Amino acid sequence: MRELLPLTPEQFERARLRLMNPKPGSRIAAARDYGVDLTLLMEGLRKTPEQRADDAESVRETLSATLGIARKQSK
Amino acid sequence: MKLFASAVRAMCDANVDFVVIGGLAANLLGSRRTTYDVDFCFARNRDNLHRLAMALAPLHPRLRGLPPELPFIWDDRALSNGTVFTLQTDLGDIDLLAEVAGLGTFDDVKARSIAVTVFDRTFLTLDLPALIAAKKAAGRPKDLEALLELESLLEAQEPD
Repeated sequence: MRELLPLTPEQFERARLRLMNPKPGSRIAAARDYGVDLTLLMEGLRKTPEQRADDAESVRETLSATLGIARKQSK
Repeated sequence: MKLFASAVRAMCDANVDFVVIGGLAANLLGSRRTTYDVDFCFARNRDNLHRLAMALAPLHPRLRGLPPELPFIWDDRALSNGTVFTLQTDLGDIDLLAEVAGLGTFDDVKARSIAVTVFDRTFLTLDLPALIAAKKAAGRPKDLEALLELESLLEAQEPD
């Protein structure tokens, strides 16, 4: 079974350079032109899967709490 | 409370056959897109339905949108009656799917997944090409940006 591991420094550097300087016609270039914030993808790739999961959980909790407050205030 | 961690730990500890799909899978693979619920693909064999029902029972799952006055019993029989369950729980929303558009049944989904160790547990999550295939198959306009993100993540990590 394949395993999702953090990128090695070399893998991350290669990914970072591709995201910073997309080749014309690439999917990365298409994403940049569409308005995708590629720096966020670099940030995601820099982290370990554990850190990515913790971040996702933290954002979800904050959003959930905010929505709860908004719902209470709208009643 | 921690929805992702609680659900994943409960299912791992109960030996549920499942794969993380959707937004959380994208997050695990590097996407920074906000995910409000958590999506799992599950095996529909009888033993797994029993384990799944038992694992999530402490979170008090209930069909989302079901009026509170209507009864709902969460057990393996309820799970055997459908392939898609959109649930609200004490900790947040969980979606359970027995099949994923663009990928197929649980066995197809499992074949295109990758092991990850998070929350002190090792479990399966969709890999990037599979997640992209699922997004494309869903064909929702709102997924266009997410699709471009996932394709960028894949392209950025491709070998030379």
